[in-house]
Amino acid sequence: MTPRPLCLAAAAALAFASRAPAQDSVFGIRGLGFPDRSVSAASAGTGGGFALFDGAAVLNPAALSTWHGTAGWAVAAGSNRSFDNGSGSTSLSATRFPVLGVAGQIGPRIVVGVTVADYLDRNWAVSQADTVSPRGTPVAAQDQTTSVGGVSDIRLAMAYRLQAVVLGVGLHALTGSAQTTVIRTFPSDSAFLPFAQHQVTSYRGVGLSLGALATPARSLLFAATVRFNGSLRASSPDSALTVGMPVEASGGVTFQPVQGLLLSGTVGYASWSSASSALASSGEGPARNVWSVGAGVDVTQLHLIGRPLALRLGYRWRQLPFAVDSGPSWLTEHAVAGGIGFEAAGGRATVDVTVEAGSRAARSLSESFVTAYVGLTIRP
Amino acid sequence: MSAWRSAAFAALAFGALAGCKEQISSPGKCPALCPSGHVQLADTLLTTADVSDTSVRGFVLVREASYLLASNLDSLQSLVLVRFSRIDTTWFVTLSSGLVDTAYVGNPDSVVLDLHLVQRDTAVKGLKLLVYRLPALFDTGASYASILPYFADSTLVDTVPISDTLQTGDLPVRIADSLVIAPADTGVVSLGIAVVAAGKTALALGSGNLGTTAPILSTYIHAKAPLDTLSHVTSVEPSVSLFVMNPPPGQPPSGVLALGGIPTARATLRLSLPTVVVDSNAVVRATLLLNTTGPAGGFARDSFFVFAQPVVRDFGAKSILWPDSTVSGSVLIHEGQTGPVALDLAPILRFWGTTQGDSTPRLIVLRAYPEGSILGSVTFAGRVAGALGPQLRVTYVKPYTFGLP
Repeated sequence: MTPRPLCLAAAAALAFASRAPAQDSVFGIRGLGFPDRSVSAASAGTGGGFALFDGAAVLNPAALSTWHGTAGWAVAAGSNRSFDNGSGSTSLSATRFPVLGVAGQIGPRIVVGVTVADYLDRNWAVSQADTVSPRGTPVAAQDQTTSVGGVSDIRLAMAYRLQAVVLGVGLHALTGSAQTTVIRTFPSDSAFLPFAQHQVTSYRGVGLSLGALATPARSLLFAATVRFNGSLRASSPDSALTVGMPVEASGGVTFQPVQGLLLSGTVGYASWSSASSALASSGEGPARNVWSVGAGVDVTQLHLIGRPLALRLGYRWRQLPFAVDSGPSWLTEHAVAGGIGFEAAGGRATVDVTVEAGSRAARSLSESFVTAYVGLTIRP
Repeated sequence: MSAWRSAAFAALAFGALAGCKEQISSPGKCPALCPSGHVQLADTLLTTADVSDTSVRGFVLVREASYLLASNLDSLQSLVLVRFSRIDTTWFVTLSSGLVDTAYVGNPDSVVLDLHLVQRDTAVKGLKLLVYRLPALFDTGASYASILPYFADSTLVDTVPISDTLQTGDLPVRIADSLVIAPADTGVVSLGIAVVAAGKTALALGSGNLGTTAPILSTYIHAKAPLDTLSHVTSVEPSVSLFVMNPPPGQPPSGVLALGGIPTARATLRLSLPTVVVDSNAVVRATLLLNTTGPAGGFARDSFFVFAQPVVRDFGAKSILWPDSTVSGSVLIHEGQTGPVALDLAPILRFWGTTQGDSTPRLIVLRAYPEGSILGSVTFAGRVAGALGPQLRVTYVKPYTFGLP
């Protein structure tokens, strides 16, 4: 890949990312936000089981080696959610763009890539009804607090191919902002005017990821990655907070028992408890260290209308790091997924479509979701 | 081509997903899913917010008012004075041959006065308008006392009864066969109008100002026989229309905030407000509390608004009002109303917290509305009245703490 197309593609990806809204869960109101899963549509279809081997995901920099030539990719995810707070439920929907990226091969051994991915989602809105009596007479009041924004993970990574091993390194910049707005409204026939106030919080941080892929046998592939994050600095016009970020480690295996059938599993761990002290100082609940597991199957020998068709199934489970109350109550999430992938444009493009259904719950609070991922990969 | 069609389809699907409508608002479940901050209201009574006030009369003059007031109330007598423009008394008949001939011109055979009744007290019956002939060039600065002698039996032109059922509308009245106009008057006719009724009352006639219908004087002329089927109408509007009152309106007394009436009065209040009230949009309600010093004036059972507006620049009584009517407060006042009055000032306090309003003086003008079109007036106690003077009650949101992260 020549530098010029790579730069253009990177610029396009960044420009697109800056407009991309994101929304995963109302539980993003707690802690640093809702941790995103920056996986491609194909990896999502296998429950994230293949994420460590997927060059379009951002978990393992060594996985960039799966790109031969130049590639650009983007994923859109639309989700419908039903949130139940124990006394009632409501339907919610949102669209996000979990990951965008470009990669190019430089020589026979090196692949470099830039990705922009969601890291922490801070899009949420909650409304509360209240009755106040500022002048002695009760009047209804409706408070709506909305947060728009989050923390993005911009990664510049490189993979280096050796014989049976691929090594990767990635530099991460955590950046972004969230605008929080509180609006109080009164009934239109009351004498009170609505009130609104907002604050913009910006986030800055850095990280380093190391990864490896190893092929001990033809049908077996191992992956491992570890990511070290520096502190995340959250600052508003009149205050600032430095939050310790986790060390994240993941390992995975892919096994091909027969031609065209791939089985994969991934397990991950993140030491989010490092954020607890800073969160406690700002009145938030604690954070915990979390595990995540994903497993899936990818069938690649199918055809549809004469074209290769990939069929994927998967399951995933994960713990979420931020307590939803001071109990503390912890949130756990699981989901099943299925999807397809096919080539287009004479093999220069790949379209992946995945549907994932799952739920997350903590005590009486629960949220079920159905997310549709559409991924588009172009290899010019 | 087929390959690119597939790519286009994929891009379309991607775009369709990206264009989905968002609905992200959830019902809060406290404390788990509620923000850490709370909207807290504070309510305070600022008893000394009014640091200076004054009242001035003369913003809309009698000759600029939209109405002509005729009244025989004990508290207010008023006479209407109208000077019409020059009216032609000769009609030159144009014959079929195209020649103009004065041989056939007859005398005016009727004079019609068209009035427009704007407002009256329908509870008072037997309403009559007395139309008097005034000196053509009466003194437009005349007082009630100086003009009253002209309202004598000797100058009475006609008495115009008004139907008890007529509340508002046109009053075309044939007042005379003709009006003799002395050559020295050069065709100018002036009339005076007074009102009488079964009881004491007042009424308003259109003056021609501010979009109302003016009095019109018309003369009807028929040609002499054998051309007496030919006729001509000449109509003129007033060059002067006003009314004189007894007692004459004067400047409001010191310490009183007078609004309305005619000439209209306005009051200005200079406010001193805490920073938390002005320098934010946190005010959700602000009420100016006023106390009347007497019953509100005006037509019986009538009502009008008291309007509060900020000013662009402080030029005292001639301060320029902020033109945006949404930055204002108003309250409806009824004739005869007494006691406390609450006027909403929240839009004005919020305006002072914006970049537009930040540099404007903390000065508000109180005036009656619609100014110059109503008789209504009201007086409030000024700051010198102490506890009865203007006070400001403000409800605002305390600074909201968003917190981090």
